[in-house]
Amino acid sequence: MTTPPTLTHAGAAMHSPDLYALRENFNRERIMLCFNGPISRSLIEEIGNALKNYLAADQALPAAAMDVFAAYIEMTQNIRHYVARRGYAEAETAATVVISRDESGRYIVSAGNLVEAGDGRAVMSRINAIATLDKAALKAAYKEQLRKPRDPALTGGAGLGLLDIARKASEPLQAALIEHGDDRAFFSLRAVI
Amino acid sequence: MKNINVPASQSTPAIQGDWQAGVLKMQGDSYPENAFELFGEIIQWVEDYLAQSADPLRLELQLLYLNTSSIKAMMDIFDLLEDAHVKGRAVSVKWHYDKRNERLAELAEEFKEDCTFSFLIASHE
Repeated sequence: MTTPPTLTHAGAAMHSPDLYALRENFNRERIMLCFNGPISRSLIEEIGNALKNYLAADQALPAAAMDVFAAYIEMTQNIRHYVARRGYAEAETAATVVISRDESGRYIVSAGNLVEAGDGRAVMSRINAIATLDKAALKAAYKEQLRKPRDPALTGGAGLGLLDIARKASEPLQAALIEHGDDRAFFSLRAVI
Repeated sequence: MKNINVPASQSTPAIQGDWQAGVLKMQGDSYPENAFELFGEIIQWVEDYLAQSADPLRLELQLLYLNTSSIKAMMDIFDLLEDAHVKGRAVSVKWHYDKRNERLAELAEEFKEDCTFSFLIASHE
């Protein structure tokens, strides 16, 4: 039988963020890695290295590990491409990235970022559209997208990267859009590998 | 007539192009944010080689993880080879992969689907 936790303060009284509550949350969600803040090219690579190490320590099979890594890279690079296209300032290139596991041990890759509300709605409808596609249809959509000319003005993103993640996921992608009412919204994507 | 010798980085493959031998080789992961910053030069090399030489061109690949940006760049290279092949030029690809990761073979197979030239996919331990 476990005794209830007791809390002792030392030095100056501690104020939020409450690390204990945060830790409990992380453990409950089985979060392996998480990040919140401005995301640079090199940070994507460094966090990617940490992810590779975790996957190796977990003894994930090579193909599964590559799929998780791929979902992470495509999500974070999509965010980088989006902020570059929209000309956001450095402070606004923030991303929230979480890699966790579910009860059955599957890896979950989630990422979110601020977007223009219109772009958010566009990518949400794209995700809805591909949610009903089976493996063969996703492959066909992927091959079609692969052949499209590189469009630097592509809004709403949701091109090849999204289809790649959808193909590697073990269930349809989940996404949420939280609109702030000021033409900006927080878009988040969740893939179960 | 020029050669390519690009060392690998954490997120980009090592690439060697030998004009005299007619061989282009690549090894490793490829996941740069913008693959065309690297592959633009490689694609140009292949275009130049096919235009200025009449000799065969052989690709030897030991690639690992490719992000979608790199996949688009590789597809551009394979399209150049396919165009040349259709016009009677000798071109071929040999893709080596580690047997323990079936994802690598699947990627190679998908590229091969769009090619009618010799595209060998070989595993090793």
